[in-house]
Amino acid sequence: MLIPIGFFGAGGAAGAYELISTTVLGSSASSVTFSSIPSTYKHLQIRGVARTDRNVAFDNLIVRFNSDTGANYSRHQLEGNGSTVSSSAETSQTSIKTGRLTDATSTTNAFGAFVIDILDYTSTSKNTTVRTLTGAETGNTNRTIVLNSGAWLNTAAVSTITLDRQLGTNLLSGSRFSLYGIVG
Amino acid sequence: MGTTTYTPLANITLGSTATSVTFSSISQAYRDLVLICDLKGTVLIDIRLRLNSDTGSNYSYVYAYGDGSSAASGSFSGDTQMSLDFISYATSTNAHISKTEIMDYSATDKHTTILVRGNSGAGVDMSAQRWANTAAVTTAQVRPSSGSFAVGSTFALYGIAA
Repeated sequence: MLIPIGFFGAGGAAGAYELISTTVLGSSASSVTFSSIPSTYKHLQIRGVARTDRNVAFDNLIVRFNSDTGANYSRHQLEGNGSTVSSSAETSQTSIKTGRLTDATSTTNAFGAFVIDILDYTSTSKNTTVRTLTGAETGNTNRTIVLNSGAWLNTAAVSTITLDRQLGTNLLSGSRFSLYGIVG
Repeated sequence: MGTTTYTPLANITLGSTATSVTFSSISQAYRDLVLICDLKGTVLIDIRLRLNSDTGSNYSYVYAYGDGSSAASGSFSGDTQMSLDFISYATSTNAHISKTEIMDYSATDKHTTILVRGNSGAGVDMSAQRWANTAAVTTAQVRPSSGSFAVGSTFALYGIAA
């Protein structure tokens, strides 16, 4: 069954899922920050692809909220690396590590991808919880797929989100980070 | 107020069995595509995905799954297609459901990366997959490994704003 869909691509009716901001790196950058996030949504989602300049093994995408660099984050993850499945957890971390990106050791033009759900981000009665799916088909043995649950142990509303690389120096040109709001 | 998105591009419910479902002339106006499948097969089937009709050995993937008694991970380099299931196969009685995120599909400076989560009565799986081509995605074909997609199978494609 062949479905030509070009002419279906008109804008949809007003709905609950809205693009707030997109950053596409035209040159290397150490991190990307979404600031002054509107408080008018119920949940947020970050979608994107990224590659770093680390030239050893692998690199990870990390997330911080409200510029908090203290040991106020924890996470659990389920990871497949192409040969084994593993589960791990970390507490008292300075960021939420969501999973691997591609880096300088990966196949040229390969980017890691991620979808990060940030639930109830405006609430001031609960810690911020995130769920992430991050995958990097690197073209070598560093490939992974990771399902991650993370928490920022702070009840403040989220107004700033920083996405960063854990180990390398920079996120590379072509990396893209898009923030979406889900209306409650 | 942001730009409303998650635009439905196509929503197909099979009124008869089909050996493939192809989305063609995909609008390049979006950032990502999301493919939602809820399907059964006329026989036990795995669910495959090809982009831009590329039948070459240009697809690679890493996956993990659990079937209720064990968990496993694997990978493949240079396959002739992607897979939307690694344990979450469909049968004539058990449906496969999956959400496939086709990221940056209109970009021409990177390979196309997809993230997939699949579920069925057989198990749950997740994967990261890469089409080793920098071309923009204009066609996406979903096909069963054998047999046909059953009547009532649904396929929905959404565009996520740039």
